[in-house]
Amino acid sequence: MSDFIRVAKVADIPDPGKQTVEVEDAVLVLFHVGGRFYCLDDVCTHDGGPLGEGRLHDHAIACPRHGAKFDVRTGRPLTMPAIVPTRAHEVRVDGEEVSVRINEA
Amino acid sequence: MTALATETSFSPASVAAFVESRNEPGWLQDQRRAAWDVFCRTDWPGRRDEEWMRTDIRLFKLDKFSLPAPVEAASPAPVSVLTEGVELAGASVSVDSWPVSSRLDRRWAERGVLLGSLDQLVREHGERLRPFLQRRIVDPHYDRFAALHTACWSGGHVLYVPRGVVIDLPMHLLSAMRDGRVDFGHTLIVLEDGAEATVLAETASFHEADGGLHCGATEILVERGAKLRFVHLQDWGRSVWHFAQQRAILGCDASLQWTVAALGSRLAKVNQHVGLTGQGGSCQVNGVLFTEGKQHLTYHTLQHHQVPHCRSDFLYKAALQDRSRTVWRGMIKVDPGAQKTDGYQRNDNLLLSDQARADSIPGLEIEADDVRCTHGSTSGKVDEELVFYAMSRGFTRREAVRLIVSGFFQQIFDRITIQSVREALGHAIAARVREYN
Repeated sequence: MSDFIRVAKVADIPDPGKQTVEVEDAVLVLFHVGGRFYCLDDVCTHDGGPLGEGRLHDHAIACPRHGAKFDVRTGRPLTMPAIVPTRAHEVRVDGEEVSVRINEA
Repeated sequence: MTALATETSFSPASVAAFVESRNEPGWLQDQRRAAWDVFCRTDWPGRRDEEWMRTDIRLFKLDKFSLPAPVEAASPAPVSVLTEGVELAGASVSVDSWPVSSRLDRRWAERGVLLGSLDQLVREHGERLRPFLQRRIVDPHYDRFAALHTACWSGGHVLYVPRGVVIDLPMHLLSAMRDGRVDFGHTLIVLEDGAEATVLAETASFHEADGGLHCGATEILVERGAKLRFVHLQDWGRSVWHFAQQRAILGCDASLQWTVAALGSRLAKVNQHVGLTGQGGSCQVNGVLFTEGKQHLTYHTLQHHQVPHCRSDFLYKAALQDRSRTVWRGMIKVDPGAQKTDGYQRNDNLLLSDQARADSIPGLEIEADDVRCTHGSTSGKVDEELVFYAMSRGFTRREAVRLIVSGFFQQIFDRITIQSVREALGHAIAARVREYN
């Protein structure tokens, strides 16, 4: 299992808000919603669209290409045309530091 | 490594010094400088571009790499897999985008054939090669990668076969790259009227995990009545970035059989174009892709019928395992007046794991009204009934899957007329197939 890697500071991302981060060989989106942080692959499983450029509404992020929505807490698809979850990663907050552990599954 | 990258990274000053240092004809230096200007004025392709929207290059950082630099003439190269047991008419080898050796049988040299490093031959035969290098077979300013290549190409190979010369043994071109280095090879193949040749080209790293950057171009000109069989095996290490522009132009009654095998690289983006510019031209393209791990291979093919009575036949097959991905986007373009065109394109994908993904986008753009153009695409998983049947006959699951994968590619192997190539690809693919439950 990989280690936690520091990716941002709490103050970097407004609540609600999101930020794209590069971790090892992956591009991820970090979400700040309701005082908590979540992290997903920056990939819509429908057509590979960049979720980091999509609209965030509560805990749903919409792909800017075709409107597929995902739950930022789990990566679960909420609407068509996506039917496959996008990868979700574990997030840890230590004081001001936000760290992510890559889900290798 | 960091210090080296800083000293020779891609800056206006370092590229200007690189161009100055190469002792090339003025017209070629001008070509390089013009391309560098385009590079400086252009952005990297974005994910809103149709051509790049499924290929994410945000993690590609050019400043991690350096301009091509001299390597020792005696630098070893990886063992060739395409030429085992094959008698060759000549060979050209480069390492890290720098020529290290070349040889050509005297009987072909005496008939005017040129084979070797493009670096050396453009200095010795600049005026002969100039029309081909200025013809823009590949658009030197197509995008930022093409401009970077045109400004900084180094190494690569040239084969020039004069009118009527028929070479009966294959030529071998090998471009090798060490971990973390670059290959900016530019390959030029010219067959004049009635000439014939077979070329086996390989690009390879030294170890499977190696990284690096390939930003290359291949230009092929097959003139009236000439025949070329061209095989290209891409087997870079699994951390290599591979960006390539490849284009062939066929004259009247010319024929080209082009076999592409892509097994390596971390991310590959290849534009492969064939332009049919003379009546009676015929090309057959065979593509074999096998991906694993997190590999991502993108192929954009274009079969461009510009005149009547030409034939093109593209067949690409991909097998994917693990979390790998392929994107294949093919286009048959028929210009107004290119009547009696016979165009075919097909892409089949075999998904060996649940997490692999293949995107297949065939397309037609036809502006003539008396043509036959067909295209097709299939994507599917290994048929469990076939696996069960093979296992009931005593095969293990892995052996059964290997058999099915071999059968999947057999249609392409049957079209490859060079035995050593068939065997090399068959072995390479069979060795990669893993066991899935």
